[in-house]
Amino acid sequence: MIRKIHHVGVVVHSMDQAMRFWRDTLGLHVHKLETIQEQGVKAALLTLGDSEIELLEPVAPDTGVARYLQSRGEGLHHVCFEVDDIEADLQELKHKQVELIDQQTRLGLAGRICFLHPRAMHGALVELCQPIDDAAHHEAAHA
Amino acid sequence: MPDLTLDHVVIGVRDLDQASADYALLLGRGPSWHGEHPKYGTRNTLFRIDNTYVELLAPAGKGRWSDDLRRFLEKGEGVYALALGTDDINAVVKDLRNRELPVESPADGDGLDRLGGGHRFWRNARVAEKHTNGVRIFFIQHFSPPDALPVAPVAAEGAHVTRMDHVVVLSPDLENSKRLWGGVLGARLALDRTFPERNTRILFFRLRDITIEISGGAVQTEEGMGKPDRLWGIAWGVDNLEAAVNRMRAAGVDVSDVRRGAKPGTLVATAKSHTHGVATLLIEHTPESFSPESRLPQGVAYDNDPGRRAFTATGLHHVALAVTDLDEARRLWRETLGVHANDILESPAVRLATARMPGGEAMVGLAQALTSQHRIAEWIEQRGPGMFAIAIQVDDVDAAVRDLRAKGVPATDPEYGAMPGTRVARLDAAATNGVSIQLVQRLPDLL
Repeated sequence: MIRKIHHVGVVVHSMDQAMRFWRDTLGLHVHKLETIQEQGVKAALLTLGDSEIELLEPVAPDTGVARYLQSRGEGLHHVCFEVDDIEADLQELKHKQVELIDQQTRLGLAGRICFLHPRAMHGALVELCQPIDDAAHHEAAHA
Repeated sequence: MPDLTLDHVVIGVRDLDQASADYALLLGRGPSWHGEHPKYGTRNTLFRIDNTYVELLAPAGKGRWSDDLRRFLEKGEGVYALALGTDDINAVVKDLRNRELPVESPADGDGLDRLGGGHRFWRNARVAEKHTNGVRIFFIQHFSPPDALPVAPVAAEGAHVTRMDHVVVLSPDLENSKRLWGGVLGARLALDRTFPERNTRILFFRLRDITIEISGGAVQTEEGMGKPDRLWGIAWGVDNLEAAVNRMRAAGVDVSDVRRGAKPGTLVATAKSHTHGVATLLIEHTPESFSPESRLPQGVAYDNDPGRRAFTATGLHHVALAVTDLDEARRLWRETLGVHANDILESPAVRLATARMPGGEAMVGLAQALTSQHRIAEWIEQRGPGMFAIAIQVDDVDAAVRDLRAKGVPATDPEYGAMPGTRVARLDAAATNGVSIQLVQRLPDLL
């Protein structure tokens, strides 16, 4: 089911300040930067080998990321695993009665995604994602 | 498609011995190799520098490439071809053909060092220049170890050329160039900027740490459309431009005075003799050119410049999770997510189990402290179990620590890591957005 670590999510106070370290000092290439209004976050994806670092800055109060920042401060937030078939994997997790945040997959920055509850993995927040490849996307759009 | 590198740059010359002597003066270092290729009908001299090598190539008798080289030389000496490197030439040729670039089939090649006795092997594949905007490009995969081509011995320490900074291409049709370098060859476009007051537009494409700078008019003219590009010049990196200029002048090279470069924080000088038809710039990057501020006027808002870096972060090595009971955690990860953390390491202070992923480099590491003083135990005490740290792989941990400390990021001295064959250093989380980061350098396999 799992193919690889797709990205590691890091919550930060300020994207501009975080860029000084991750982009300018560590030298990672920023390949995506966008504000996702409905999730209340500004997100940047930086390439690190065949994985990514995802920087998340809350831009609205009352989101999971904003609450996390307030209670725990900046730092590692989640790890996202790329899977081949997220719908099948989510069904299997439900079958195993694994505690989930998302009962259905949804569209995220990394493709179709879902989060497990941190209680399910001893405190680690785990996301699964299935990137949407352009061809499939194209097909779906013209189906 | 696999990423391409600028493997080397070929300069076409008529008199190889004269050109070799001249380039030894320009570079401040002796040749690495004196080669001949009976199959190609050519002879060459190579200078390997930090990040690439330069090949002076002259015709010698008859062979596959000598006629083309002679035709080129009829118009004058200069940069003849760019060799783009890959670890998988078959994949590159296949991908490029899928992108409708008719690359010829790869062919085996080899070269003998007339003086040193060395023998190197490669496979390369050409593409007719009519398909590459008139620029001769070939693709190459080396099969000899990198040290088969010795580093060009430095004749004047501190005043020598250390690396290639960029290659300049003049283009009458920049949109065509953009399609070739970005769309077909897959090089990363790092900058596309127009200077109306100078009637200039430049594109920067990065091939790892070397820039292909493509320069043309600010406004596309009709007569320029579809006209061929021209390989124009090379900018060589030096550590100390003043020392380099003084050295070259003492050797009789005509060099301009040192002036400020277009990029803030750079110093440049132009060499006007001994260049064999290659527009030749020498460039020194002063510390200001590393700062983020110096990049902003260039319009490269979200770029970093690998060519200026002391080290490279090459990948995510592992994600470390702090656990209270390693065996229980291993069971949980196996049963819930099918992650098998079967590789177990034990030291008096910590037990560590790692899991490889089938489709990626980065591993999952589960770590249990065996003493209450261990930082993992302290972490759990404060924040509970969960994601604890990430390990980032770097090419040179010692260089990384020196560079990061100079930039204000505290780091521990590098030491041997818990995983065999690694050297590691830890960064202070206060300087890294609260993320505990371990830098990992994999040491060459000794077995």
